[in-house]
Amino acid sequence: MAKKNRVAIVGVGYSDVSRGTGYTLDKLTAQSSVAAMDDAGIKPTDIDGVVVHSFPHQFVSSTHTAAMLGIPDLAFYSGNVDGAAYSVAAMHAIAAIASGSAETVLTLRTVHKDGAAGGGRPSGNQGIPGNQQFSMPYGSFTGSHWAGLYMQRHMAMYGSTEEDFGAFAIAQRKFAVANPTESFFHEELTMDDYLNSRYIAKPLHLFDCDYPVDSSSALIFTTEERARDMKQKPVFFDSWANGTTKEADFSLVGDMTHSSPWMASKRMWSRTDLKPSDVDTAGLYDGFSFIAMQWLEALGFCGEGESGSFVRSGATSATGSLPTNTDGGACNVGRRHGANFFIEVTRQLRGTAGDRALPKKPEVGVVSNAVGGFAACALLTAE
Amino acid sequence: MTTEVSPPLPLPNELTAPFWEGASKGQLVIQHCNACGNFQHAPEPICSACLSFDLGSAAVSGKGTVYTFCIPTQAFHPWFEDKLPFVLAVVELDDQPGLKMITNIVNVNPDDVKVGDRVEVTFQPLGEGFMLPVFHPAAQ
Repeated sequence: MAKKNRVAIVGVGYSDVSRGTGYTLDKLTAQSSVAAMDDAGIKPTDIDGVVVHSFPHQFVSSTHTAAMLGIPDLAFYSGNVDGAAYSVAAMHAIAAIASGSAETVLTLRTVHKDGAAGGGRPSGNQGIPGNQQFSMPYGSFTGSHWAGLYMQRHMAMYGSTEEDFGAFAIAQRKFAVANPTESFFHEELTMDDYLNSRYIAKPLHLFDCDYPVDSSSALIFTTEERARDMKQKPVFFDSWANGTTKEADFSLVGDMTHSSPWMASKRMWSRTDLKPSDVDTAGLYDGFSFIAMQWLEALGFCGEGESGSFVRSGATSATGSLPTNTDGGACNVGRRHGANFFIEVTRQLRGTAGDRALPKKPEVGVVSNAVGGFAACALLTAE
Repeated sequence: MTTEVSPPLPLPNELTAPFWEGASKGQLVIQHCNACGNFQHAPEPICSACLSFDLGSAAVSGKGTVYTFCIPTQAFHPWFEDKLPFVLAVVELDDQPGLKMITNIVNVNPDDVKVGDRVEVTFQPLGEGFMLPVFHPAAQ
């Protein structure tokens, strides 16, 4: 596919983030948008596209967002409800800019603490409609349930252990401790802490789960030409891809240890000259810790089934070959549905990570989002 | 004083009713394509293998293998408060490669379940006349 325009990230921003802001989705969305515009050094009139990702019950539309911000006219907008959370918004915006449909696009993911976990609960005694009647009567209600299923399958196929998943949670927490302004957790995690944390759905522990918060995350993308004139050093998308499985139900995908991250990864690598060994830092979605570990395998940073030993080797630490989730990940900075990885890798690549700047300045980063039925990933470069 | 807790009950429709009607008669009934013979679960209005709309249902063997499982220890619905811990599983049915369903493994110590275990269907009352197809370890 011919790409008309090279696409750059030029602004990133967060709303206030807490366990209970008391703010509406609208206000959170406005806050992060303003923060991203300030970061980019642009005004609402510089923006001609808005893309939001929303689950249906957590919806702030693109056009309402534009109206709140005083954006006079949108050349491109999209409010997607399906797929790999923030990354879907990113993919739509990249496609819009690359094709020339828009020049400067604001992308958003806004979540409230309660209600962003996916799934749903039956209310009253009305009965469960649709295909959830084949899962809820069995006690399957939330992501934690399919997460436990995926972890168990990996353990059975490869002999991985709870300690392997714990090693990831511990490694990621080290980054969180170094990010006190964003992380909700400030103490290092020990293996005993991890193993003694309660099960949600054995083998899934509490510390495998992202941390529910109110948050809005915003990033602004534009063309290379425009990016060169903006305040921040641009970060570029080198390659990007979605992937899905034949089965839409996360619990019924054909191969749980090779779910959609494998499809997205293969497609992403097929569209670039870069290789896994060129990647200096990673932001891998950690709605549950096993997801980031499936990405380590799918992206080819380690062998199949070897993510546990890869993490234990220190490879994902600040001084390792692939510092991973250097903001602390969503388990620690709170649920951003993937946007935090785009934001943190951007900050590392453009050199605005402050005290958290990696010892070796990264030139290439990878970001990823989701698992199971749908996933997306992208390669980012400093130049 | 006790409060009546209702189970999460299905709301059958045209596509899903055969599964629940079969279960009430002690049969595991899965959607079956009349054109190509493909089983699919959950049911859909079209056969994803051949795109036929001519879909029926058929009883399957009720035998299968544990593809994976987990042991929920937190209830996300009041019905399960007094049922913890239980085994939430995905069972691959013998009748077609890759044909899987979400279910429970019952009549077993949860910690004794293993991926690859052979299991057979059985039926448990759910409420309001609904029977729930679940699985227990297969007879040796």
